[in-house]
Amino acid sequence: MTRTLLTLTAALALATPAAAQDMFIDNATIVTATDVRPDTDIEIRNGRIARIGANLRASEEVPVQMGGFVTPGLFAPYSTLGLVEIGGEASTNDIGSEAEGSSVSELAADSFNPYSVHIANARMRGVTHAVVAPSPDGDSIFAGTGIIIDLSGDFGSVIDEAAFVHVAIGQRGAGLAGGSRAAAMAQLRGALRDATRTYDDPDDGDVLSRADAAALRPAVNGRIPLMVSVSRASDMMRLIALKDEFSRLDMILVGAEEAHLIAGELASADMKVIVDPQENLPASFDSVNASFDNVLILQAAGVDYAIANLGALGVSKAGTLNQHAGNAVGNGLSRQAAFAAITDTPARWFGLPTNSLEVGDAASLVVWDGDPFEVTSAPVAIMIDGENVGTDSRMRRLRDRYNPLSNSTQPHKYR
Amino acid sequence: MKSKTALFLCSALMLSACDGPNGNTKEETKESVTFELPQAFPSTYSAQPSETVLIRNARIIDGTGEPTDATSLMITDGKIAAIGADIDGGDADVIDADGGFVTPGMIDIHSHLGNYASPGIRAHSDGNEITSPITSEVDAEHGVWPQDPGFDEALQGGVTTLHILPGSANLFGGRGVTLRNVPSRTVQGMKFPDAPETLKMACGENPKRVYGDKGGPGSRMGNVAGYRKNWVKAAEYKKKIEAGDEPTRDLQLETLAGVLNGDILVNMHCYRADEMAQIMDLANEFDYKVTTFHHAVESYKIADLLAENDVCSAVWADWYGFKAESFDGIPENLPFVHAAGACAMIHSDDQYNIQRLNQEVAKAWAAGNRAGLDISKDEAWQWLSTNPAKALGILDQTGTLEVGKRADVIIWNGDPFSTYSRPQSVFVDGARLFDVEQRIKPQSDFRLGTEVER
Repeated sequence: MTRTLLTLTAALALATPAAAQDMFIDNATIVTATDVRPDTDIEIRNGRIARIGANLRASEEVPVQMGGFVTPGLFAPYSTLGLVEIGGEASTNDIGSEAEGSSVSELAADSFNPYSVHIANARMRGVTHAVVAPSPDGDSIFAGTGIIIDLSGDFGSVIDEAAFVHVAIGQRGAGLAGGSRAAAMAQLRGALRDATRTYDDPDDGDVLSRADAAALRPAVNGRIPLMVSVSRASDMMRLIALKDEFSRLDMILVGAEEAHLIAGELASADMKVIVDPQENLPASFDSVNASFDNVLILQAAGVDYAIANLGALGVSKAGTLNQHAGNAVGNGLSRQAAFAAITDTPARWFGLPTNSLEVGDAASLVVWDGDPFEVTSAPVAIMIDGENVGTDSRMRRLRDRYNPLSNSTQPHKYR
Repeated sequence: MKSKTALFLCSALMLSACDGPNGNTKEETKESVTFELPQAFPSTYSAQPSETVLIRNARIIDGTGEPTDATSLMITDGKIAAIGADIDGGDADVIDADGGFVTPGMIDIHSHLGNYASPGIRAHSDGNEITSPITSEVDAEHGVWPQDPGFDEALQGGVTTLHILPGSANLFGGRGVTLRNVPSRTVQGMKFPDAPETLKMACGENPKRVYGDKGGPGSRMGNVAGYRKNWVKAAEYKKKIEAGDEPTRDLQLETLAGVLNGDILVNMHCYRADEMAQIMDLANEFDYKVTTFHHAVESYKIADLLAENDVCSAVWADWYGFKAESFDGIPENLPFVHAAGACAMIHSDDQYNIQRLNQEVAKAWAAGNRAGLDISKDEAWQWLSTNPAKALGILDQTGTLEVGKRADVIIWNGDPFSTYSRPQSVFVDGARLFDVEQRIKPQSDFRLGTEVER
C-alpha cells in the first residue's frame, strides 16, 4: 500500500512539475545535525516549508508522502562527481591533468558536467550537495581549483566556482614532486610564497606561473580553504608548522588516517579534517596507524571533521556516504555527530547556509523509507532548494527495464 | 589419492621404475589411463583447539534459505554437534546470545588478501603475473603473504573462508586457492583441506588493454581466439595422456586439462551480459563448465541464461562505472539474478569491502525488495555463505549451520542486515578466533611495533 502511494507521488511529480513543488510529508522523524523531531508532519507549498507540526492535515490537492525519516540532503565533502564518466576511459576523465606548467589555475568548473549520469545515481541515494575535487597528476603537487555543487543536475548547480585549492603532500606529493617529501613541501612552500609576491614577469615565481600564483592567492589569504591530501602524522605536523609563516591558511586535511595520533595538535591549530571511518588498514607506510578509532578520537578532541568515502572506485563513492557515516556510528560515534559530519559541517566550511529544516526555508530535504544510516534505507523523495528532483536515475531505468517482475513481452530495447 | 598421483607421474615422466608387474614398455603397448591431476603443496591445516559450547537463545539464520525454529547450537570437536530449539548441553560452556543473531561464517569467493597485501607497496604486488596472457601455470597460493593485516580485519568482519584469485590481466590467470581465515605462519597452514582446485580466467577489457601493445590479444575477438587455441592444446594434451602417451609435463596445459577433466572449477572475471553468453558457448564447445562469473555486473540482463546453464554470479552490491564494461551496474543485480533462479552471491575483491560483506548484501537485498521482490533475510543470507560454499565445492563442509559441518559460526551484536551490527564472536572449526568481550583477536607481525601507542 505504501509502495503504491509512493509510486503515485513519483509519477505525479514527473507528470506535473509545477504541482511537484508541493508535498505533505505525513508522520516522519526529522533528523538534522542539531536535533531529532519524531512524529512530525511537514507541508511544503511552492517549494517552501510552510508548516511543521504534529497531527497536521494535508491541504487539499497536496500530494501526501508517507514519512519515514526526513533529513537535510547529504553533503559529500569529497567527490569527483561531474568530472568523470568512466574512470578507465581517459577521454571521459577530467579528474587530473599531466599538463606541464599549469596547476592551481586549472578549474574543475571548466570540466564539470552537470549531466553526468553519476550525479543522479548519487542523488537517488540522498546526496544533494558535494565538494568536487580535481586530483593532482603530472609533476605538480597541485591538482587545481575545486568547486561546490548541488546535485540538481542542471547548469545552475555550481554553487561556488572557486571554492578551494587541492594539493597533495606525503607519499603522493613526494611522488609528484620528484621523489621526496622534502621536495613536495619545498614546492608547497615556494608556491605559497609565490602567491604573496608581485609578478613583473610571468616567470617571476619560484614554483608557480603568474596565473597559478593568482589562483592560489585566495587560499594563502584564507579566503578559500587549501585542501591537502595527507595521511601520515608527521606530514600533518609539518602542515601545522606551515602556519607559522602563513597564518591565514585555512587547511582541510583529506585522508588523515593518522590524525588520531595528533588530535590535540590538530584541534589547537584549527585544522579541519575529512576522514573515512572505514579506513582501518595500513594501506601504505603513510597510514600504518589507520584505525576505526580515528574519528572517535577526533570527536573527543574537538577536531572539526567531516566524513567521506575515500575508498576505491571514484564515481560510486559519493552514493555510499550514509553507509560510511553509519559505520562510524556502529563503531561508537554519536548519531548526531556522524550526521553533522555529512551535512552541516562541510556546508559551514564552504560558506553555505546550514540546514535545520525550519518553516520558511526553501525545502532542501530527503524523505527516507527508514533510518538514513541503514544501508537498507533509501530516499523516496528529494527536494533541492525548493525543487522536487525525484529519484530517477540511469540506474533506476536499467533496473526498471530488467526487473524480473516486469510483465512486458517486448524486447528489452522497447521497454 | 597418492597412488593416483604416482600413476600420473609414471605416465607423464616415463619413469622406468614405474613399469607394471608385466614389465611393459611404452613401445610395446600403450594402455589407456585416466587423467589425474597431480597434487602439490598439500594443506597442513590443523584447526585451533575447539571449544565445547552451547549457544542459546539465538535468532539463527542457518544458511539453508529457510527460516528455522532452532534457537540453540552446540559445538563439539570443531563441528556443529546439534542445532535445535532445546538442546541439552551437558558440561558445555553456555553462551546466552540474548536473542541476538547467529549465522554461518561468511565466505568471500573473490579476495586478493595476501597477494595484494597491505601496505600496498610494490613489493606486495604478487597477484597478477602480467608477463603473458596465458599463465595457467601460476598459482595464487605462491603469492600469498600470510601476514597481510587484511586477514585479521576480515576475520573480525566475520569471514571464515576465502578464495584468493590471481588478477584479471590474463586470459588464463592461474590457479586460485581456498583458505581458512586462521592464524598461520604458512599458506599451507591456511589451505582448506581437499577444497577443489580453481582456475581464474578473464574476459573483456583487461586482457586486451594489457596486451594490446604486447602481441595481443588486442580485442575481444583476440580474447576468444586465445581461449580457443589453448583449449585445443589442452584437449590434445589430455588425450595424449589418456592414450598412454607420456608427454613432457606441461604446467600450463595440466591446469587446463584439469578443467576439461572436471577437477578444476573455472572462475571467470566477466562483466558484460553478451560476453558471458559467448563464454557459455565457448564452454559448450570444449565441454567444460564455468562455475562462477565474477563481477558479473550485467548478470541481471541474462539471469535466465545463467539459470539455464547453472552458472553462478559473484557480484558487488553497487560498484560500477570505473570501466565501460561496468557502466551498467545496478544495486539490484544480486537479487534480480537470484529471483531468476540462478545462483548468486556477494564478493569483495577488496580489503575493505571484505570487512562488511553483510552490509553489501543488506544493500542489495533491500534494493531488490524495493523493486518489488519479496526475498527474506534467511533467503538472502545464502549470498554470504551458502552459495559461495557451493561455488567453491565446499558446501558439504561449511556454508550452513547443519549438524556435522565445520563449526564456522558468527555471534552478532545485532541484526547482520544493519549498518550498526558487528560480529561479537567468530568461531572457525569451533575455535574462538575473535571475541570482542574476551579481547581475542589476531595481530599480524606487520602490526607489531609499527603501530604507535597513543
